[in-house]
Amino acid sequence: MEVNPPKQEHLLALKVMRLTKPTLFTNIPVTCEERDLPGDLFNQLMKDDPSTVNGAETLMLGEMLTLPQNFGNIFLGETFSSYISVHNDSNQIVKDILVKADLQTSSQRLNLSASNATVAELKSDCCIDDVIHHEVKEIGTHILVCAVSYTTQSGEKMYFRKFFKFQVLKPLDVKTKFYNAETDEVFLEAQIQNITTSPMFMEKVSLEPSMMYNVVELNTVKQVGEGVSTFGSRTYLQPMDTRQYLYCLKPKPEFAEKAGIIKGVTVIGKLDIVWKTNLGERGRLQTSQLQRMAPGYGDVRLSLEAIPDTVNLEEPFHITCKITNCSERTMDLVLEMCNTNSIHWCGVSGRQLGKLNPSSSLYLALTLLSSVQGLQSVSGLRLTDTFLKRTYEYDDIAQVCVVSSTIQVEG
Amino acid sequence: MTDEILMTQSTMEHVEGSDQNINIKEESLPSEVEDRSVIHHVTEEEQGQLLFHEETIDLGGDEFGSEENETISEDSNNFIDKLNEHMMESVIISDSPNNSEDDTGELGCLQDIVETAEDKSDHSLEQVLDKEEIVTLSNESETDHDDTPKDISDMTSDSRTSLKEELTQEETKDESMFENEGTVQSVPSDNKTNSQEQMSEISSSQSSKDDPIPVCTIFSQSNQANSQPQLFLHDGFEPQMVKSPSFSSASETSAKTPPQVVQPSPSLSKFFGDTVNTNSLASDFFDSFTTSTFISVSNPNAGTSVPEKLSSLSTPLGESSPDSADPSYPMGIERSESGVSTASLETSQSPKPFSQIQAVFAGSDDPFATALNMSEIDRRNDAWLPSEETRNVLISVATQQYSTVFIDKENLTMPGLKFDNIQGDAVKDLMLRFLGEQAAAKRQVLNANSVEQSFVGLKQLINSKNWRAAVDLCGRLLTAHGQGYGKSGLPTSHTTDSLQLWFVRLALLVKLSLFQNAEMEFEPFGNLDQPDLYYEYYPHVYPGRRGSMVPFSMRILHAELQQYLGNPQESLDRLHNLKTICSKILRNLEQGLAEDGSMNNITQENRHASVQLWRSRLGRVMYSMANCLLMMKDYVLAVDTYHSVIKYYPEQEPQLLSGIGRIFLQIGDIKMAEKYFQDVERVSQKLDGLQNKIMVLMNRAFLHLGQNNFAEAHKFFTEILRIEPTNAVANNNAAVCLLYLGKLKDSLRQLEGMVQQDPKHYLHESVLFNLTTMYELESSRSMQKKQSLLEAVAVKEGDSFNTQCLKLG
Repeated sequence: MEVNPPKQEHLLALKVMRLTKPTLFTNIPVTCEERDLPGDLFNQLMKDDPSTVNGAETLMLGEMLTLPQNFGNIFLGETFSSYISVHNDSNQIVKDILVKADLQTSSQRLNLSASNATVAELKSDCCIDDVIHHEVKEIGTHILVCAVSYTTQSGEKMYFRKFFKFQVLKPLDVKTKFYNAETDEVFLEAQIQNITTSPMFMEKVSLEPSMMYNVVELNTVKQVGEGVSTFGSRTYLQPMDTRQYLYCLKPKPEFAEKAGIIKGVTVIGKLDIVWKTNLGERGRLQTSQLQRMAPGYGDVRLSLEAIPDTVNLEEPFHITCKITNCSERTMDLVLEMCNTNSIHWCGVSGRQLGKLNPSSSLYLALTLLSSVQGLQSVSGLRLTDTFLKRTYEYDDIAQVCVVSSTIQVEG
Repeated sequence: MTDEILMTQSTMEHVEGSDQNINIKEESLPSEVEDRSVIHHVTEEEQGQLLFHEETIDLGGDEFGSEENETISEDSNNFIDKLNEHMMESVIISDSPNNSEDDTGELGCLQDIVETAEDKSDHSLEQVLDKEEIVTLSNESETDHDDTPKDISDMTSDSRTSLKEELTQEETKDESMFENEGTVQSVPSDNKTNSQEQMSEISSSQSSKDDPIPVCTIFSQSNQANSQPQLFLHDGFEPQMVKSPSFSSASETSAKTPPQVVQPSPSLSKFFGDTVNTNSLASDFFDSFTTSTFISVSNPNAGTSVPEKLSSLSTPLGESSPDSADPSYPMGIERSESGVSTASLETSQSPKPFSQIQAVFAGSDDPFATALNMSEIDRRNDAWLPSEETRNVLISVATQQYSTVFIDKENLTMPGLKFDNIQGDAVKDLMLRFLGEQAAAKRQVLNANSVEQSFVGLKQLINSKNWRAAVDLCGRLLTAHGQGYGKSGLPTSHTTDSLQLWFVRLALLVKLSLFQNAEMEFEPFGNLDQPDLYYEYYPHVYPGRRGSMVPFSMRILHAELQQYLGNPQESLDRLHNLKTICSKILRNLEQGLAEDGSMNNITQENRHASVQLWRSRLGRVMYSMANCLLMMKDYVLAVDTYHSVIKYYPEQEPQLLSGIGRIFLQIGDIKMAEKYFQDVERVSQKLDGLQNKIMVLMNRAFLHLGQNNFAEAHKFFTEILRIEPTNAVANNNAAVCLLYLGKLKDSLRQLEGMVQQDPKHYLHESVLFNLTTMYELESSRSMQKKQSLLEAVAVKEGDSFNTQCLKLG
C-alpha cells in the first residue's frame, strides 16, 4: 500500500459565493475652487470618475454596485442565497455531471438544488451555474454540503464534496410585558431590540391575536386625520436599539362574558415581525404564542361597572358593582357594608343576594357618601357565602374625589 | 467569500504538512451530524472506484463582525488589509491544535469521515488527509454564550418571548456594533488625464523674458506679459519689493472686464504659464532644492527664534540661477524687523507681478491707500473671520508696524513634511511579483523626477493620476520653501503659494486614503486660525491685503479628514464652525458690510458675486456635513441635511433626491425610497435631457433591486445602455444583476467587454473588484485573468491606482 498516493486533480472546480445584496460604492470627495492651485483639476478628476454621481460629484453615495466582499452575517428569518458554480478547468469534455447542494442543520438536511438532473456533458471552460435560496429557520451551525460527481473521458467516475460551514445568529431580542386592566382589556408591551450589526428597517410589527381577542395597535397617534407613527421619522433600528410597541387586546363579545372567569394561562397571540436591511434584504420572524397568566380573582370577583369620578361632600352618590361567581359551584351570597372613616354606606347591610351560579354574575347598585374631602378610597364591602361560611373582603375597590358642595361639580 | 475558498485551497498543503495537528482536530470532532453521508462515503470507498475529496469551509461571519468592532472608519485599504490578514489568520488557526478545540461539536460529520477512512486502511494519516481536506476558517471563540433568560429575571411580570424558530441552543450574541458591508471605500478616481494638453500649454506660453531664470520659478519672479525686471531686496529698507497680486487684478478688473468672477489668482496663473523651466533639467531643480535645504538647515539662526530665511525658495542657491538669486536679501528685512518671531518679511519673493506698483504705497501708514489696492476678488475669496485672539494679534501687527509684536510660539504655524517620500508604484511592484522584471520594465509612469519642478509639473502629475509622485513633488517644492522634512516646529513664514502647496499635498494624501499621513502633516496647522495664516500678519509682503491665506477648500479638507480617521464627531464640530463663519459672512454682506464686517463700499455687482460665492461655500459645508452624517449612519439627520443642500445647489435637486432615495434603499425602507424616486421623476419632468432620463431609469432599476427583482432591474439598466451605451454605472450594474440571476458567464462577458472597449474609463476600482470577484467564482485559474487585468491597468493607470481591487495579494 502506498504511503503517499499521488494526489489526483479534479477536472471540475466547485466555487460557492454567498449572494448577499450588493452594496453601493461610496467615494471620497475632494474638491477645490477654481482659484486654488489645481484649478478645476480635482473637480474634473471627480467628474471623470465613473463612480461619482453625474452632476453631483460631492455626493458620497454613488450608484455603482459592488459585489459582497465577505460572507457577512446571516440571521434567523433571512434568506440564504448562494451562487454555486462548477467549472470545467480541464481541457477535456466531462460527462454525466451531477451537482447536489444540501444544507445540514442541527435537526435536518435539506436539498437546495434547483434541479437534480444530471448534466450530460460539460465542455472545457464551461460551467454549470445554480443559485440556491433558503429561508433560514434554525439558529446555530449550518453546513452547506456541495457534492459533485462526474465521469471523465476515460470513463472514470469521480466524486468530491465541499463543506461550507456558517453560523446563523439571532437578529432580534423580544421581551413582552402584560398589563391587566380592570375592564378585562389586556395591554401588551413588546420591546424589540435589534441585536444585529446593521440598521434594520422595521417593515411590519403586528400582533396576531388568538381567537379570543381583538387587537388595537397603539403605535400611531392620530394627527390631522392621519396616523403618525409614535417612532417619528426614524423608521429603522440602529444596532442595539430597542423599540417599544404597545397593543390593546379586547376579548371578543362572545368571550367577554367568560372573560371574567378565565383562569390561569391564556394564549394572547403572536408577534409577526418583518424587517429589511441593505437594499431590501428581507427577514421575517414570528414569536411563539404569547401567553399570559390571567390575574386570579378568587372565587367571587367584584368589579365596578360605574362610579362617578368626583362627588360632593356629604352628598350620596351611586355606584354599580358586578359580582361574578368564578368558582365551580353555586354560591348563596350575603352582602355586608362596613363604614370606614370617610365612607358611609346607605342602605341595609347584611342583605341576601340570592343564589349565584358558576360563571354567572349579577349587578348591584349601591349608594354611599363621603364625610371627608379629598381622594377617598371605596372600601368595606363584604360578601359571605352562606354555603361554605366563607367571607370575601373587598377594600380599595375604587377611588373618588370628594369636593366641597360649594364648588360646582362639573358633569 | 470566494477568497475563503481560495484560501482553503491554499491551505491544503498546510494540512498535509501537519498531520498531527489535523489529527488532533479531527478526533475532537464528535460525529452526530452527518451519519448519512458517512455511510454513503464508506460504500463508495469500498467500491474503490471513486476518488473521494472533501473540503470543509467555514463561512462563519462572526469574526468579521467582531473584527470591525475596533473602528468604523478604518480606511478602505486598511480594511481590506484587515480582511486579508484575517483570512490568513483563520487559516493558520485551523491548523493549530489549540484553536481547533473551538470547533468541537460543530462539524460532526468530519470525524466520521476520518474514521471510515482509517477503517479502510491502517496506513498513515497522509492518505486520510489526501482524501479529506477539512479546513475550518473560523473559530467561534468570539461568540458570547449567555443565558438570556437571566437577563429579564428581575422583571417580575415579564415573560420572555422566545422566537419561534429558536433552538434550545445557547444564544450567540454578536456584540459587534458595526455592519460588515458598511465599509468606507476609498476611490481613487479613474479618469484619464490629458498631459498632452498640459504640455502644449506650457510650451505655448513661453515668454520672451530677457534673463531666463531656470530656477525654482515656483517661488521666484514672474515672466508674465506685463512683467517688469525682477527687483530684489538688497536691504531691509525696501519692503515694497513685495508684489501684491491683488493690485494687478484689481486694476485689470476695473479697466476691462468687470466681473472677473473666478480666475486663477495672478500668482498662480503665472506659474502655470511659466515656461522658463521647461528647458531646464529637473535634476537642476532637485539639486538646487537639496542645496537650499542644506543651507537652511545649517543656518545658525534657524534654531533660534529668528525667522527662518526662506530665500532658498525663490532663489535656489548654487548653480541654477546666479543672476536672479540674491541669497542675502532676506537678511535685510530681518534687520528691519528685528522681531522675535514676528511677521517675517523675507517672503518678499512672493511672485506677485505688481509688487513694483505696490511699492508706491508700501510703507505708508495710510490705510485708505492700501485698502484701495485690495482686489475685489481677493477680498471676496480670502475673507475669513479670525477668532478674537487672532484678531487682536492681527490688529497689533497692523498698528505697530515698526515695533516688535511678541507672539507665543504656540500661536504660530510651523509645518513641515512628516515623511520623506511615499513615492512608489504599487502597480509596478505587483508586476514585478507576478509578471516578471521584463514586463515591469515596460511600466512607464511619470514620477516626481520626470516632470518640471513646478506647478506645471505638479498639475501634470495630478492629471495623469500619479498622485504619489505629485505628493512627492509638493514635498520638494515645500522643502524649497523651508518647510521640508524635519522643519516642523521651526519658525517659518507663509505665502499664498506655500499654503496652496500644502493644500494640494494634503488633498492628494486624502485622495490616496493615506489619512494618517495627512493627519500628521495637518497637525501643525492647528485649527487654521493662527495669526500667521492671515495676510494682515505680513503687512510688508502683502500690503493692504486682508483675509486668510488658507484656501477654503483646505478648511473643508481639514474638517472632513477627521471622519476618515474615525472621529466623525470632530468632523461635524469643525464643519459647524465653518458653517457659522460662512453664515456670519453672508449676514455681513446682507447688511451692506464687507465680508469681514468692515464698512466698505462694495458695488452691487461685487456684492452679488460675493453672496453667490459664500452661498456656494456654505452649501459645500452642508454637503460635507451630510456626507459625514451618512458615514455615521445617522440617516435621519443625513437626509435632512441633504435636503438643505438642495437650497444651495438647486441645480442638483434631482441628483440629491435620488441620493436620498438610495439612502432609504440602503436602510431597507423601500417605500420611502420609492417616494423620493417619484419626486425625482416629478422634478425632472420639467427638465428635459438625456441625463435626467437616465437618472429616472437608474432609480427604477434600484427600486426593483430593493424589491429583490433582479430581472426587472437588469431590464432597466439595459435600457439605459440603449440610450447611452458607454454608461459605466449601468454596464457594471447590469453585470451585477446577471450574476444574481445565475448568469456568471454573461455577466463576465459584459464586464470584460466594457473594460476592453474603453479601458480609459472602465478600469475603475469598483468594476475591477467585481470582475476579479467573478473570476474567482468562475474557475481556479482566476490568477491568470487577474494578471492580465494588471497588465491593462499598467498601461492606463498612474501610481495612485489602488491595486487592492485586483485581489492579487
